[in-house]
Amino acid sequence: MIEVRNISKSLPGGRKLLDRISFTVKKGEFVGILGASGAGKTLTLRCLNGLLKPDSGSVLVRDAEGKTQDVCSVGKRKLRQLRQKIGVVFQGYHLIRRLTSLDNVLVGRLGQINTLRSLFYGFTEKETEEAMQALEKVKMTHLSSIHVGRLSGGEMQRVAIARAIFQSPGLLLADEPLSNLDPSNAKVIMKLIQPLAQQMPVIGVFHQPEMTARYCTRVIAIKEGKIIYDGDPALSHGQLADIYGEELRQIEQPLSSIVVPGAPLAPQPPDSYERNFL
Amino acid sequence: MPLNHRTAMNAISYNLRWVRRYRKGLLALVILVPLASGASYICGVQWTSLWKGMAESGALVRLMTPEWDAFAEMLKPAMESVLIALVGTLLGTVLSILFAFTAASNIAPKWLRNSVRFVLGLERALPEIVILLFLVAAFGLGPFAGVLSLTIGCIGMLGKLIADAIEELDPVSLESIEAIGATKIQLLVFGVIQQIMPSIISFALFRFELSIRLSIVLGAVGAGGIGLEMYRAFFLLDYPRATTALVVILAMVFVTERLSEFLRKKIKAEGALK
Repeated sequence: MIEVRNISKSLPGGRKLLDRISFTVKKGEFVGILGASGAGKTLTLRCLNGLLKPDSGSVLVRDAEGKTQDVCSVGKRKLRQLRQKIGVVFQGYHLIRRLTSLDNVLVGRLGQINTLRSLFYGFTEKETEEAMQALEKVKMTHLSSIHVGRLSGGEMQRVAIARAIFQSPGLLLADEPLSNLDPSNAKVIMKLIQPLAQQMPVIGVFHQPEMTARYCTRVIAIKEGKIIYDGDPALSHGQLADIYGEELRQIEQPLSSIVVPGAPLAPQPPDSYERNFL
Repeated sequence: MPLNHRTAMNAISYNLRWVRRYRKGLLALVILVPLASGASYICGVQWTSLWKGMAESGALVRLMTPEWDAFAEMLKPAMESVLIALVGTLLGTVLSILFAFTAASNIAPKWLRNSVRFVLGLERALPEIVILLFLVAAFGLGPFAGVLSLTIGCIGMLGKLIADAIEELDPVSLESIEAIGATKIQLLVFGVIQQIMPSIISFALFRFELSIRLSIVLGAVGAGGIGLEMYRAFFLLDYPRATTALVVILAMVFVTERLSEFLRKKIKAEGALK
């Protein structure tokens, strides 16, 4: 379980980036955070694992001993311990390109093993086997010895998820995991993330309301640093217009061209246009 | 009248159109020729001494037939020069990685980064020969001072290059390792060194080429090796022997340059694949 209490963040000039954001996510929930660009989605997510310190408020998670800890105020050492139990899938390609898929998955436990051992790649056989199992869950075992730089975007994101699975976290954060992916790959990634919610709370930042409606159990919408919606993932057109404002058209444009049957792929030139050139 | 005037002007500008076309080149010529001739007058560069020197160097060329008996004697000092360069480059590369960590803005705090960069800049400003002269005063003549001065020169150059490579790393890939709960050392090894290793190796190879050439010059000043051998032969007017040393040096430089270029190309190709 993770509890976010009134986190706020503002720029030195006084502009509020986050304004008293509060929510609680329990095990079994797959929460999608939606919002227009610059609304504060990614900022919120970065506060959850301490990559960013909010000006006020607290983020409460359970540590290994079952005690409740505040991510925002713990010391460096404790923060590292807490982060070991928080899996993160970032947007884009954040893996180490010169390592193989398997090694990249093994990196997920760096924080949990002795530093000296990790420097010599001293991963035990048991750990390697578990990493292979994680790769199997995302159906990437056949590419385990391939250098990550050679994989496609979808495959890289699958390795990233395997890394998060191998880390065996108590909370999973996903920062726009679908950006740079085509719709079919995006669906594959969502289908991989969805079942993880049964074991841990999953919080993801998404840009595709149709995806969150399909796979998430709950949607939180952020606008100008404030939560304006928290509830059922199925959003009406009016609610989407509220959330995205001007941006809604850009989101809907590609959708409508898929949804409307028999719609032309590109606008046809008028007759006169053709005649002039013939 | 104004019409005639204009026609005349047009005719002039038409005939002088090449001036307009080549005006940038002409400007350079007008500035550079007086500058160069003035400078050569001050420095004592004269055509007459050029002819005289050329006539004498003709005799020099006749003197410079390599003495192949001395060839075997040259191999040991040549090896010494290569080893001075090798040890200096290796030591310098390892140390420059440490310096690079403190000179990269995405790892080190700003005050540390700027001060380390300043020191590295100072180091680069000093030629290796100057460093060697100071070190010889402290450590005495010999290869050790040569190795140290090459190491210091290497840190100045590679420290900056590697730090620049670190600063160009994708911040998200570093953050993703931080987010796992890794320690700072793990971040440096897995996030940084792992990713820039191809660059480090190719920088080190490039520096090795340079070090070989420098080790010859440094040898003459006091570090020993083939440079000293050649300097001594010239000093004793034993031109055939000096020529043998020269041939060995040329072979040495050529082989290392080819080798390092080959390896760097290989690394680059592999980097592109991965």
